[in-house]
Amino acid sequence: LHKLVHIMDSFQLNSNSDSIKDIFDSSLNLEETHYKEGYTEGYNDGLSSGKDEGRQVGLKTGFQVGEELGFYRGCIDIWNSAIRVDPTCFSSRVQKSIKQMDELVEKYPKLEPENESVTNIMDSLRLKFRAICATMNVKLEYDGYPKPSDVKDIM
Amino acid sequence: MSLIDESFELREIQRLEGHTDRVWSLAWKPATGIGGVPAVLASCSGDKTVRIWEQSRLTGSFECKAVLEETHTRTVRSCAWSPSGKLLATGSFDATTAIWDKVGDDYECVSTLEGHENEVKSVSWNASGSLLATCGRDKSVWIWEVLPGNEFECVSVLQGHTQDVKMVQWHPSMDILCSCSYDNTIKVWAEDGDSDDWHCVQTINESSDGHSSTVWALSFNSSGDKMVTCSDDLTIKIWGADIMKMQSGDGIAPWKHICTLSGYHDRTIFSAHWSREGIIASGAADDAIRLFVPGENGLIDGPTYKLLLKKDQAHDMDVNSVQWSSAENRLLASASDDGTIKIWELAPPSGK
Repeated sequence: LHKLVHIMDSFQLNSNSDSIKDIFDSSLNLEETHYKEGYTEGYNDGLSSGKDEGRQVGLKTGFQVGEELGFYRGCIDIWNSAIRVDPTCFSSRVQKSIKQMDELVEKYPKLEPENESVTNIMDSLRLKFRAICATMNVKLEYDGYPKPSDVKDIM
Repeated sequence: MSLIDESFELREIQRLEGHTDRVWSLAWKPATGIGGVPAVLASCSGDKTVRIWEQSRLTGSFECKAVLEETHTRTVRSCAWSPSGKLLATGSFDATTAIWDKVGDDYECVSTLEGHENEVKSVSWNASGSLLATCGRDKSVWIWEVLPGNEFECVSVLQGHTQDVKMVQWHPSMDILCSCSYDNTIKVWAEDGDSDDWHCVQTINESSDGHSSTVWALSFNSSGDKMVTCSDDLTIKIWGADIMKMQSGDGIAPWKHICTLSGYHDRTIFSAHWSREGIIASGAADDAIRLFVPGENGLIDGPTYKLLLKKDQAHDMDVNSVQWSSAENRLLASASDDGTIKIWELAPPSGK
């Protein structure tokens, strides 16, 4: 009761209202303080575990993209070698498509995973590859090569 | 006197049996049925075979002359003759397209086109026979070039449809390709110059007066300035384009909606085919065949089409395909889930 009167006197006197405000503020803002603390803790936690997870996803995606590009690179190199040995082994249309594939593989922004053109270039590569294989009448696939039906799981 | 003023009947000439499963598609061989050459018809079926039927000079009835079997390992869904009649292309659920050539009395498979990931739904030759288009459940349309020695090269793989592509048809005089799909749209594809660069130049969807459900078939009229499409939405739609403009090299003119025929079908329409004289035949899931002709012109909304006749119970089950003979004999062939093919003649009623 004495304290209450003292506080009320203080209000009426309008002195030291700042320090009184502070006392009340800290108890009133307890919820907000705790929230802020918790948020900061969680955010920092998330930053580090997110980095870990990001690294895992990046490794996985990078590997898959690299593997697919590498496969096309290999096919293109073999085909080009064949053309050097016998320039008539493939029709001009097929040779043109191989050249276009070569350009696309070179153009693929390997170090910019967030570059918008990555999906378009990969889609074009896959289409050209299918068209060339269909014309040559060969089935080129190997373990680890994502079948078009698997692609939706990867991307 | 326009066609609508005369009364006609669709007379059943013959019922062709032989296939042991549903018959999906039919194709009349070009340059037959005219000039003393007996009419020839190809049919393809769920029984994995293709049958060739020839009309006898003596009796006038169609006989099965050949069975093309042991090549496709699943349903043969579509067949089309090259414009010269030399080659027959067949598209199958086994994901391949076979090319057949007549050697003596037999047909030999001279080439197999692979590339589709799953069921091929339709095959079509362009007007000059230099290009073959195929489409399928993998949502893609493939264009192949015919080279000497029955070699085929893939020119382009076209993606754009978001679902199963049901049919592809080349324009009768220009190298423009149309496709229709389970995604309810019709797409028009053309080449950019001469560069193998094919792309979609127009998509007709519901908001451009297009269909609201699967579009099953499309067919051009003989002059190529109109096309008809039919759908699961129970309508037939007619489209027109400024062909003169396109032929003069003035770019691709868009296809515009002319007319919608609704209220005539109460089940899915699987097939529509435009005859040389301008009669549209439709085959539907109610086992019936309907014929439509242009009505009077000069109405406010432009040309209209009217029902000429309806043949109820043309078959015992769904009619999958209707095809007019290209000869001037008013013969119509129909194929059905009931495993039979029927040959009809459009004639004035017997009384006349």
